[in-house]
Amino acid sequence: MKTTFEKRRALALGLLILLILLLPQFIRKMPYIINVFIVAFYMTTMSMAWNLLGGMTGQNSIGHACFMGLGAYTSALLITNYGWNPWATFPVAILITALVTGMVFSQCFILRGPYFTLVTIAFAECVRQVILNSDFAGKAVGVSLPYVKGNNWAMFAFKDKVIWYYIALVMMVCVYLIMKRIDNSKLGFALKTIREDEDVAAAIGIRPLRYKVIAVVISGCVSAVAGVFYASYYRYIDPDIMLQSASVEMVLPAIIGGSAFVEGPLVGGILMVSLSEYLRNTFGAILPGINLILYAVVLIVVIRFRPTGILGWYHHSRFKAFLEEKVLGKVPGEDDIARQINRGGDAK
Amino acid sequence: MSEIMIEVRNLTKTFKGLTAVSNVSLTADQGCITGMIGPNGAGKSTTFNMICGFYPPTSGQILYRGKDITGRRADEFADMGIARTFQIMKPLGNLTVLDNVASSAFFGRHKAKSLREAREIAARTLEFTGMFDKRNVLAREMGTPDQKRLEMARALATKPDMLFLDEVMAGLNPTETEEAIALIRRINEGGVTIFLIEHIMRAVVSLCEKVVVLHHGEKIAEGTPQQVMNDPYVMEVYLGKKKEDAHAEG
Repeated sequence: MKTTFEKRRALALGLLILLILLLPQFIRKMPYIINVFIVAFYMTTMSMAWNLLGGMTGQNSIGHACFMGLGAYTSALLITNYGWNPWATFPVAILITALVTGMVFSQCFILRGPYFTLVTIAFAECVRQVILNSDFAGKAVGVSLPYVKGNNWAMFAFKDKVIWYYIALVMMVCVYLIMKRIDNSKLGFALKTIREDEDVAAAIGIRPLRYKVIAVVISGCVSAVAGVFYASYYRYIDPDIMLQSASVEMVLPAIIGGSAFVEGPLVGGILMVSLSEYLRNTFGAILPGINLILYAVVLIVVIRFRPTGILGWYHHSRFKAFLEEKVLGKVPGEDDIARQINRGGDAK
Repeated sequence: MSEIMIEVRNLTKTFKGLTAVSNVSLTADQGCITGMIGPNGAGKSTTFNMICGFYPPTSGQILYRGKDITGRRADEFADMGIARTFQIMKPLGNLTVLDNVASSAFFGRHKAKSLREAREIAARTLEFTGMFDKRNVLAREMGTPDQKRLEMARALATKPDMLFLDEVMAGLNPTETEEAIALIRRINEGGVTIFLIEHIMRAVVSLCEKVVVLHHGEKIAEGTPQQVMNDPYVMEVYLGKKKEDAHAEG
């Protein structure tokens, strides 16, 4: 039997989904705003990929732009040099990224903490340099995808930004559902145990190395999908998409939103991208660069005063208690986990 | 005649020339509680960590149910039915107590298939160890006694046949110690063989059927608690030399 709380929560969620689905119909005439949403969805996807490795497994990477870049380059080069269909490049991009990340990082997980982070930076820079110096990949000029007229599903290219909006949305939601599933699975518990303490993990039968490799490979695969999307959406890529600053941009939404939560990148991604775009629009014209300074100030303030991120604050806030009890009608002391177990007990 | 669960033969560990444990041999019989005591720095924890696969021994052999397990990876032990606790508690701080234990239920030998199954096993384990009321507390927000008990609950949730306890009573007050002793006895009555390191002699005497004494990395005595406590060398190690001897030397 569902409680009032559960019913109202489902209703609120339904309304939110409806709003997101119908939004492009209201802003159809504003391609710039739609673009902001597409970028936000894409950044959120990348941030969720990062969060699997950084937030859930505790292996902080500053090289995710490179994972994404590997996927984007694989796809773009197959399309331009070999005339592949963009859809067919998805599995190849995923496979190559998975192989590269899996092989490289299985050797690097012996390093812990900041040393691992340094390796991810070095790895990303190596890949960028290789691409920057190889004729095959277009050197610094980058790769332009062939022009496609109108909206063409077969060629994965659309003139209409609304279609891209929905594609990015589907990508983000799918990745979120995957991450949510992992979070509650055996794999998720292994990763979280490793994050908290590797010795404990070993003591209860988890092989840390094995699960870290699984995490980096899944993270790489998701990044590759986002990379193929990126290449097809912008129709042009160059080695600068793998810069370290791009990697940091992917880490921020997760940290600001709350990296301990699957929903963290979701909240952080939407907020940070809209904030950054808003600041650029409003202040960029007044004094060049002032928008970046304001962005940095917001970042520092959040990290200084809410180190567990927005969700970390929210879950212990009076605001949440108010929202759940007064608006959603939660009975105080209603305990999801306990109820789950009691139900399980009754069934026997 | 009960089976020997753990047999250690001539175990030695040197850290860059410093011998921490030398030539220690001991056995733990099935269904029994075996204790290991010794002054600080005697090499108890080193021996313990070698038996549980966390340190590779320099030389020597470790046998589990007659099978050589020397040099196996630490994470293979849970599947064999060996669980351990840590002297310095290692709670999974950002997870609830229930999820701390659920993680063990996913792995270990329960191999829970779903989150619900894992949490049910965890809830049962928490009821057994008397922590069910605290299931939704974050592990890092608990005090020492509860974290010590959580260590045991987490080890138990792997469904072990052989449980290694590393000073689970250190830092507990007398009442909590009594509770811990009762819990260890309950675990043992459920058929789990126990090997423990302990400083609190009262606990050792009331629990253990056999005690091994280490000093300077060597085994100096073995036997029932009474035998060991009346051993002149053990008394000397723990209490110092008798007065008249000291006079004679001085």
